[in-house]
Amino acid sequence: MTLIVLFICTCFIQGGCTEDPSHLRKPYEDGVLRVNLGTEPPGLDWHTSTDSTSFDVVSNLMVGLTQYTNELEAKPACAASWEVLDGGKRYLFHLRRDVFWTDGKPVTAYDFEFAWRRLLAPETAAQYAFFLYDIVGARAFNTGESKDVNTVGLKALDPYTFEVKLAKPAAYFIYLTAFCPSFPQRKDIVERYKDRWTEPENLVTNGPFKLSRWQHEYKIELVANEKFFEGAPKLKRIKMFMVPEASTAFALYENNELDFVDNRSFSTPDVERFRHSPQYKNFPLLRAYYLAFNVSKKPFDNPDVRRAFALSIDRKVFPKILRRGERPTSSWIPPALGGGGSDSGLGFNPEEGRRLLARAGYPDGKGFPETKLLYPNREDVRLVVEATQDEIKRNLGVRVELVNQEWKVYLATTRKDPPQMFRDSWGADFPDPETFMNLFTSYNGNNHTRWHSADYDHLIEAAEGEQDRTKRAELYRRADVMLCREAVPIVPAYLATQNIMVKPWVKGIAINPLDFQFFKTVTVGDTAAGEVSTAP
Amino acid sequence: MIFPILKRLFMAVPVLLIVASLTFLLVRIVPGGPFDSEKSLPPEIVANLNAKYHLDKPVHEQYVLYIGRLCRGDLGVSYKYVNRTVNDILFDAFPVSCQLGFVALFLSVAFGVPLGAVAALGRGGRQDFLAMFVSTLGVSVPGFVIGAGLIYIFAIQLKLLPVGLWESPWHVILPAVTLAFSPGAYLARLTRASVLEIVEKDWVRTARSKGLSYQATVLRHILRNSLIPVVTVLGPLTAIVITGSFVVEYIYAIPGMGRFFITAVMNRDYDLILGTTLVFALLLVIANTFVDVAYQLLDPRMRMNAED
Repeated sequence: MTLIVLFICTCFIQGGCTEDPSHLRKPYEDGVLRVNLGTEPPGLDWHTSTDSTSFDVVSNLMVGLTQYTNELEAKPACAASWEVLDGGKRYLFHLRRDVFWTDGKPVTAYDFEFAWRRLLAPETAAQYAFFLYDIVGARAFNTGESKDVNTVGLKALDPYTFEVKLAKPAAYFIYLTAFCPSFPQRKDIVERYKDRWTEPENLVTNGPFKLSRWQHEYKIELVANEKFFEGAPKLKRIKMFMVPEASTAFALYENNELDFVDNRSFSTPDVERFRHSPQYKNFPLLRAYYLAFNVSKKPFDNPDVRRAFALSIDRKVFPKILRRGERPTSSWIPPALGGGGSDSGLGFNPEEGRRLLARAGYPDGKGFPETKLLYPNREDVRLVVEATQDEIKRNLGVRVELVNQEWKVYLATTRKDPPQMFRDSWGADFPDPETFMNLFTSYNGNNHTRWHSADYDHLIEAAEGEQDRTKRAELYRRADVMLCREAVPIVPAYLATQNIMVKPWVKGIAINPLDFQFFKTVTVGDTAAGEVSTAP
Repeated sequence: MIFPILKRLFMAVPVLLIVASLTFLLVRIVPGGPFDSEKSLPPEIVANLNAKYHLDKPVHEQYVLYIGRLCRGDLGVSYKYVNRTVNDILFDAFPVSCQLGFVALFLSVAFGVPLGAVAALGRGGRQDFLAMFVSTLGVSVPGFVIGAGLIYIFAIQLKLLPVGLWESPWHVILPAVTLAFSPGAYLARLTRASVLEIVEKDWVRTARSKGLSYQATVLRHILRNSLIPVVTVLGPLTAIVITGSFVVEYIYAIPGMGRFFITAVMNRDYDLILGTTLVFALLLVIANTFVDVAYQLLDPRMRMNAED
């Protein structure tokens, strides 16, 4: 027994658990921000990462050719300026000469050339390689059809000029240069350290913070990068804990052991409890939830039936049951992106729904075939589909059977053979209607509805190539009407929101609808009231 | 004594091979794959990923590759945590679970066994009722309820201990108590039943009638003999407790390996599922070997049988 006690004490001494517990009694540490990531980032290699947790870390370590403002504009970062040539098919980026890596070397066009080629190389197996498929020869190189990397339309013309050639004009392309997978990388570092290049002792970055410590599954620490080209950030250090249980994270916040928490640390009762606190804020995100039909299965091959279902669901019920400030929507394009509009989709109109259902041969729901609605096994989703089931039963007289599956089984089912109805969702990758509207083209692998329309595809392709913003918005609006009012393979339900709480001593926390959290302007240590800047 | 232990450990090799083979097969039967996510990937990208992790090969080839790596002590790579091997992950996480597990094990034995003995020796009385009430509570109330209750009382209301995290020895107390609750309660019930059985034996009565004091009878005869079933369950209990608990690690944000038993399956992280399963199986074999040794120390008859 003595041996066991000695072993435990030794482990703690060796394990570096040496912090003084008395710090728990202080409300905060000057210049130190403590946040909760929720889980371990699957990786900090911005080529192979695809999740928001990794990107929350990477977007504070790195900057790309451009960077997002909180208004979701792509503003110059490593690129001082750029030219759009040949009708939108050629981009010429002119790089700043005062951007440096944390080891003192300058960031050059060669770092972008290496990084983008590595992103596309089949052996990297990068999930987000398809983001660069608009570039000449990119898809062929990524799929192995072409072995010659020089066939890909990207080139460092000199240390500070980077050229990108697109196969066709893509008006949204500039946004991709602000997205993590397009950040530069250092050839010498990646090749020297191989799989270990993202460990703190090896990683070099060019953003406002440096990675100083990574205790896997527990904590990541970032420290200020004094050489950051915009000037050193005001924070000395960020501690990013990985507390998976929301109630624990929120208790840590209440005990002043975290300074800032978001959805990952909020259970619904906590949202209710603190809704009126000055520390609480709620913002819409570019993440939409929808009900989808498999239009190849009867009776949903009939657009009247799909329209009847869309008309029978009062979306106002969703924020009432989910209680996180969700925004009901009948349009597929979120209002923050423009192009959609409240008139695009079918709103709540049960009389019209019953009329359409009768026209389809099912007056008052009589004779309606057995219908299944598939959803992943999660509490909030269960509430949503139960409410949907209730709305349809009450307003159309149709009974829908709910079927739930474990997450990965659900994913496999929706890809292979979805039932007549299923619940799904989509989060924006970049702030442009394209990220939502492309989803339902006939060639998009995420369109599980089996709905294909050449007219819709043409509209989206025309919008992708249109450089005039007003004309693009009109093209997307027409596509939105086709999707949500005419063909109706989906019924948009609501937009998710971000709920946050910020301690009064933290200032400058910035929130945007893409949910990127940039901490370079945050300060900790002022006792003034908490301040949150937001995007519209 | 050394030879039977070595023999026992040597026998673990085929056991582990069977465990590895069955787990390898089962994880591949379950629908859904490691790269399925909300956003479907283009088939070309999925092909690149499958090629990188050899998942494009037939299952029997994957099996041969896996067993080959296993023989070299390589447990494979994680598909979820890019650039991390299963060996890295378990090397980081296991010591944490081990520290927490040993404290919890110490607490559960230190409190469970005396509680059971006290209950049995005062059978039907107030102390029996109280001890059994506590142990029934420990067995039946789930860990996340106990954990949440302890956090609320000791961290939020009394502010005596931290809510969670893994920073100092103070941070071990609440999770260790939570983790110890259920095994401690189980040990208490087991000890009580065992002591009740021993107390009725003729030789106990003989010892008392020959003038041996009550304390000496309890310590030297009753407790020692009633520990046999307790030691039997301590083997698997040790393996369970020191490989971590998903619930306790989850609610206290402890970077142990218990969480991987659940998350690896949810992520279809094949090699990580196999790695955690094999570590658990290995610990089970080792713990049971120690139990065999403990039997011989507690009961001389078993020592003789072993020598036979």
